[in-house]
Amino acid sequence: MSLQTKLQNVTQEFQKLQADMAKAVEARERLGTQLSENELVKTEFEKLEPLNDVYKLIGPVLVKQDQAEAKTNVNTRLDFIKGEIKRVEAQIKDIETKSELKKAEYIAAQTAFEQQQSQQVSP
Amino acid sequence: MSGPQQVNLTDLDLAQLADVRKQLDEELTHLTSSFQQLKAVQAKFRNCIECVRELKGGQSKPVLVPLTNSLYVPGKITDAESVIVDVGTGYYVKKTLPQATAHYNAKITYLNTNISALEEAIAKKQENMGSLINVMQAKVQEAGAKA
Repeated sequence: MSLQTKLQNVTQEFQKLQADMAKAVEARERLGTQLSENELVKTEFEKLEPLNDVYKLIGPVLVKQDQAEAKTNVNTRLDFIKGEIKRVEAQIKDIETKSELKKAEYIAAQTAFEQQQSQQVSP
Repeated sequence: MSGPQQVNLTDLDLAQLADVRKQLDEELTHLTSSFQQLKAVQAKFRNCIECVRELKGGQSKPVLVPLTNSLYVPGKITDAESVIVDVGTGYYVKKTLPQATAHYNAKITYLNTNISALEEAIAKKQENMGSLINVMQAKVQEAGAKA
């Protein structure tokens, strides 16, 4: 493979990693918002007295829910979101390490290519 | 966004200053828009509190319930002592009037902390923008004097 092709390949791979990173960061942010919203609901539920009925919005209809069931639902959702956050954060770290390696690869490929260029000019 | 750079504004040339100014502009627009959004949400909550207040003592009051934008049916308030409040993620909770008012007041206070933090950030950015523009004007004058 010519040095120029190698350089182009490495550049493409690096850009793909950047795009993956952007997507992962966006996912992490979305999960963060969901986490705070669900924690708000959880605190709200903890203040509930027996007279406070809980309703869930299903389409245009408010359907009465069992308090205990609603609390369990929110807790399960919270656990799921926390798990997802851990997963995405590990993903971000992984992409970061790969990005650093790719950057080093790019610098090496570019130096080699430039050396070759200068050698061709001044044989 | 890159971390804070302790670069002297006077060290930068006009082109770089223009870049920094553009960046500050974008940040300022973004902060101001967030600020307005928070204020709007606060206003909605205040509106909710007002509605709850109006509901008080409305037991068996006749009302008109909208079915569409131009179609209403007459009805009566059966329970003027409780309302159903949106608490987030699709859940709604039936609360008494004082509970609902307390809930909305708590939300408004929570937003206030965020709003004051935003106000501080906006003031700082505007300060930065001011000094940047001063430096830019000085540079332009300098360049004009040299020419």
